[in-house]
Amino acid sequence: MKLSSSLKLGAVAIASVALLAACGSNSSNSGSNKQVLNWVETANLPTMDPSKSVDNVSARTLNNVDEGLLKTGSGNKVRPAMAKSYSISKDGLTWTFNLRKSKWSNGDPVTAQDFVYGWQRTAKPSTASQYAYLLDHVQNFDAVNKGKMAPSKLGIKAEGDDKVVVTLSKPQSYFKYIVGMSAAYPQNKKVVEKYGNKFAANAQSAVYNGPFKLTGWTGTNNKWTLVKNNQYWDKKNVKLSKINFQVINDQQTWLSQYQSGKADEIILDGTQFKNFKNSKELNKRELASTFYLDLNQQKQAIFKNQKARRAISMAINKEDFSKNVLADGATAPKGLVSTGLASRDGKDFADQAYVKAGTEYNLAQAKKLWSQALKATGKSSMTLNLVTDDTPAGKKASDYVQNALSKLPGLKIEANNVPFNVRLTRSTKGQFDVLVDGWIADYPDPISFSSLLTSTNSYNYGHWKNSQYDTLVKNAEGKDANDTGKRWNDLVDAEKILMQDQGIVPLYQKAQPQLLKSKVKGVEYFTTGAQFDFSHAYIK
Amino acid sequence: MAKYLGKRIFYLLLTLFIVITITFFLMKLLPGTPLTNEQKLSPEQRELILKQYGLTKPVWQQYLIYVAGIFHGNFGTSFQFSDQAVSYLISSRIGPSLLLGLQAMIVGVIPGILFGALGAIKKNTWVDTGTTIVSILGISIPSFVLAVLLQYYVGLKLGWFPIADWGGFAYTVLPTLALAASPFADTARFIRTEMVDVLNSDYIELATAKGLSRMQVIFHHALRNSLIPVVTIIGPLAVNIMTGSMVIENIFSVPGIGEQFVKSILTNDYPTIMAVTIVYSVMLMVVLLITDIIYGVIDPRIRLTGKSN
Amino acid sequence: MADEVKLTAKSFEPLDRSKNLDSEKISAPNLTFMQDAWRRLKKNKSAVIAMVILILFFIMAILSFFPSVLPHQPNAINTQYANLPPKWPGVDINGVNGTLVQGGSRINAYAQAGAASNVHFWLGTDYLGRDLLSRILTGTRISLTVAVVATLVDLLFGVTYGMFSGWKGGRVDNFMQRLIEIIMSIPTLVIVVLLMLILKPGMWSIILTIAFSSWTTMARLTRAQTLELKEQEYILAARTLGESPIKIAFKHLLPNLSSIIIIQTMFTIPSAIFFEAFLSFVGIGIPNPTASLGTLLNDGQKNFQFLPYQMWYPAIVLSIIMIAFNVFADGLRDAFDPQTKE
Repeated sequence: MKLSSSLKLGAVAIASVALLAACGSNSSNSGSNKQVLNWVETANLPTMDPSKSVDNVSARTLNNVDEGLLKTGSGNKVRPAMAKSYSISKDGLTWTFNLRKSKWSNGDPVTAQDFVYGWQRTAKPSTASQYAYLLDHVQNFDAVNKGKMAPSKLGIKAEGDDKVVVTLSKPQSYFKYIVGMSAAYPQNKKVVEKYGNKFAANAQSAVYNGPFKLTGWTGTNNKWTLVKNNQYWDKKNVKLSKINFQVINDQQTWLSQYQSGKADEIILDGTQFKNFKNSKELNKRELASTFYLDLNQQKQAIFKNQKARRAISMAINKEDFSKNVLADGATAPKGLVSTGLASRDGKDFADQAYVKAGTEYNLAQAKKLWSQALKATGKSSMTLNLVTDDTPAGKKASDYVQNALSKLPGLKIEANNVPFNVRLTRSTKGQFDVLVDGWIADYPDPISFSSLLTSTNSYNYGHWKNSQYDTLVKNAEGKDANDTGKRWNDLVDAEKILMQDQGIVPLYQKAQPQLLKSKVKGVEYFTTGAQFDFSHAYIK
Repeated sequence: MAKYLGKRIFYLLLTLFIVITITFFLMKLLPGTPLTNEQKLSPEQRELILKQYGLTKPVWQQYLIYVAGIFHGNFGTSFQFSDQAVSYLISSRIGPSLLLGLQAMIVGVIPGILFGALGAIKKNTWVDTGTTIVSILGISIPSFVLAVLLQYYVGLKLGWFPIADWGGFAYTVLPTLALAASPFADTARFIRTEMVDVLNSDYIELATAKGLSRMQVIFHHALRNSLIPVVTIIGPLAVNIMTGSMVIENIFSVPGIGEQFVKSILTNDYPTIMAVTIVYSVMLMVVLLITDIIYGVIDPRIRLTGKSN
Repeated sequence: MADEVKLTAKSFEPLDRSKNLDSEKISAPNLTFMQDAWRRLKKNKSAVIAMVILILFFIMAILSFFPSVLPHQPNAINTQYANLPPKWPGVDINGVNGTLVQGGSRINAYAQAGAASNVHFWLGTDYLGRDLLSRILTGTRISLTVAVVATLVDLLFGVTYGMFSGWKGGRVDNFMQRLIEIIMSIPTLVIVVLLMLILKPGMWSIILTIAFSSWTTMARLTRAQTLELKEQEYILAARTLGESPIKIAFKHLLPNLSSIIIIQTMFTIPSAIFFEAFLSFVGIGIPNPTASLGTLLNDGQKNFQFLPYQMWYPAIVLSIIMIAFNVFADGLRDAFDPQTKE
């Protein structure tokens, strides 16, 4: 009784809050048309050093306060940024960027030397940049990164103040995405050297060349603000005057803040998604991110048998898991490379490389295959541990996969739901039998996924090996790199091999449904990297 | 007294040293390395980063370097926030936790004493039952459930106080209330129990017989003598609450130290774990020392210094 | 001033012996301490009710060992029935009729999930379609086990440690207190993470860590109280008479410490249950798919706005257990404490 009345009250309150919020936004509209956006992050800003940023939060903030040669926007399209134009030599090895006139937030001009300095700083080992490997196609990168060669030998040169010439060691068709990432941002040598190892450790100890500049960040606090950068070259198209970021860790709190109008957006979880399915404010954000199971062949010999790997895959109903358990718009994956990441001639990579047997659910067949594989090992039963991280999705995967795999004959699953960092450690040390692993593409090219499963890659935790796969990926990065058609086919074939041999078990493709207040317009979203660009956003 | 105090402070430092040593070596047993995203590192760089943090040296050397650093106020560099000194991380985030903790202690303990005393004085009446049930509810509802309820009903629906965030007194109200439940309940329960005993004792009867007013008896004799267990409990509780509650800070988005601490343990951020442990144990031991001194003040019969025989 | 007592010769005559033989005999049965406590406890109605409730919960918890008596398998996943609200057969009141508010309007969740009309989940289901009632029952068992074991350690080890330290005083006391300080100073979470490394993550390692970190408060409380008690006259008297310290501890100290001990126990139980919940909150609690009241509360808290029943029911069960424990403990305390007068 009591419960039901409180439920009713709840509905009324939600409605009235929505009304109030609507009133609130109306009144602010009628005012001076406040161009303020209130954004939420789920973690603190750990650093603003473009060379050291590894996480989503700093990537997002950096993407809006700094600018590289080019910039990725909606639909993963690349547009000119600091470089107004660029040209590529016929062999694909020399990229020439022509810079526009632009300034740092302190008034210094942004010059070609700033790019040379920034790239050298990222590459040199003493910076210990974790994203330095993105520059691995640049000439002499390996030697510089290992400290065997001076940073000045890196394949980037300034010709005058407004021309940057990059020499690659091998062609890289997706290099245009790389130059837009923070590891390739220009860096103001004067400022970097002035602050030393305190560079970009708080809002004041850095300069910015992007649409906004950072204020109010002390280095450890939960709130920071981006204000319009009046030195920005395209400032007339920047309409927001301020973007307030706040850190909220609790999903329930986030929703309350959104409903009360304190936050302008929220990434919904499954239950919330269900309740806002018909909301006009809902944006279904796809993500170039696949979660999959690694099966540790080094620890469990049974996983050397393709039948065993296939059995694991067939025992899990990916459709059911993504639709009914995650229920946040996540989809059943078609393979390792996520759907919507790349397409050629109107055909999506994932569709083209789709191997049905690699992801389908067939419990009867799974049981049969597993019995055969088990028999071949001479055992009648076995216990495997399942390692997942403690994120909400990780917990759900743990619950579901454990239950699904326990249906296989003679198989007992022990679930280890561990903190995120511990999961990483256990992954690299191989302390798992079955691991729920995830990957988010750094740039919109299938290679960002495909390179993971080559036999020498350190992310290949299951130690699946296939020489044909290795050759195809190598060709795509090497001899076919300049031939888009061939390269595409190499990667498609590689993906097919991976799925036919069940090198990994795809679990789901992540989604992040977002509610965005309808007054907020022009936010650019893209499925990789920093994901959001606010430079053209405005409040209506 | 001065001699006793000097002796205790000496022990305090000794204990602290032992705590530092034990924690340091225990942490070396924790799994994993502190690199936030170690997947994306080449072996050369990984080596370099570890070297940068001094983690490639033998453990005993790391220990000596660490202890030497403490004397210079250097607690190392945080792994969670690159290039932030741990001392800065703590000093910039402990404020909100201390404030919330202090407010929660005040809001909890004072009504707790009143409730407890009321229950004892009106023993076995409806007042007693009422105060008992309220304080039991205080113990039996976890703080995070209380926090969610407060946030949803008082924050979102009634709109009386901010739902989350930090910046001014209004923002502290809900987290303070959520935190105060535990000290409130603890105090009320202990005071009631002790006071029922004390009110039955002979010296209270004597005091009443001497013709002291009821109020005088209660405040001068009964309450004072009921405080021993409360004082014992309150000290560590206060330290616990003031060093931050991850759950409450998470729910109310408070920029406190509690969450950083839990994160530091789960992500093997050794310098932060060490520093917070030191802060925590110093606070704890000072509080314990004060508690022992208060014992003597409250009840002169308690002798701490000499042997009892 | 003084009344004059009139004594007649008759007053000095001996009484009839045969008539008054029993005047020295104790007519009530000779009660031991425990019998006396039990007699007093029985008189306290609310304590008896609380005891009955507790016994019921313990019986239910023990019964949950046998999955066949539960309405559903507590760990059985049925994603079709995920997040269904409570539905009681034949009752059509919002809250227990299988409807909930979704997207602003009240819908029949069971119909939406395509459930047959004979499908009932008394307390609803969780996000995997697991029956909440069955999970609460098994969860109660896990939580009670955690709490009871932690309490036993508290009682056996903490009380002994505290009494010994307080009784001995001087150097022994000093040393023992510093030891407690060291243990208290190392954050519990560090100890937990370490113990999880050594032990297999699971219920027993959680119980062990909770026990390891919770006895210190009890020890400090009993020690403080012992310091006070040992200066009391009756202890002095007992000592003077040459009683052995063990006997003094059991016959004199323990009864007088009982109220403090019982009250502290009442705090150990919820804090053990909450600490277990906290461990689940940070991801190192009871492993999947086992439920505890803590993990249930934790999961429920996340969806409070839309699926409030997922938090309310575990919270209500926990509160009832706690209130029963406390009321019962109050009764026990009154029954045990020699100072309580009737």
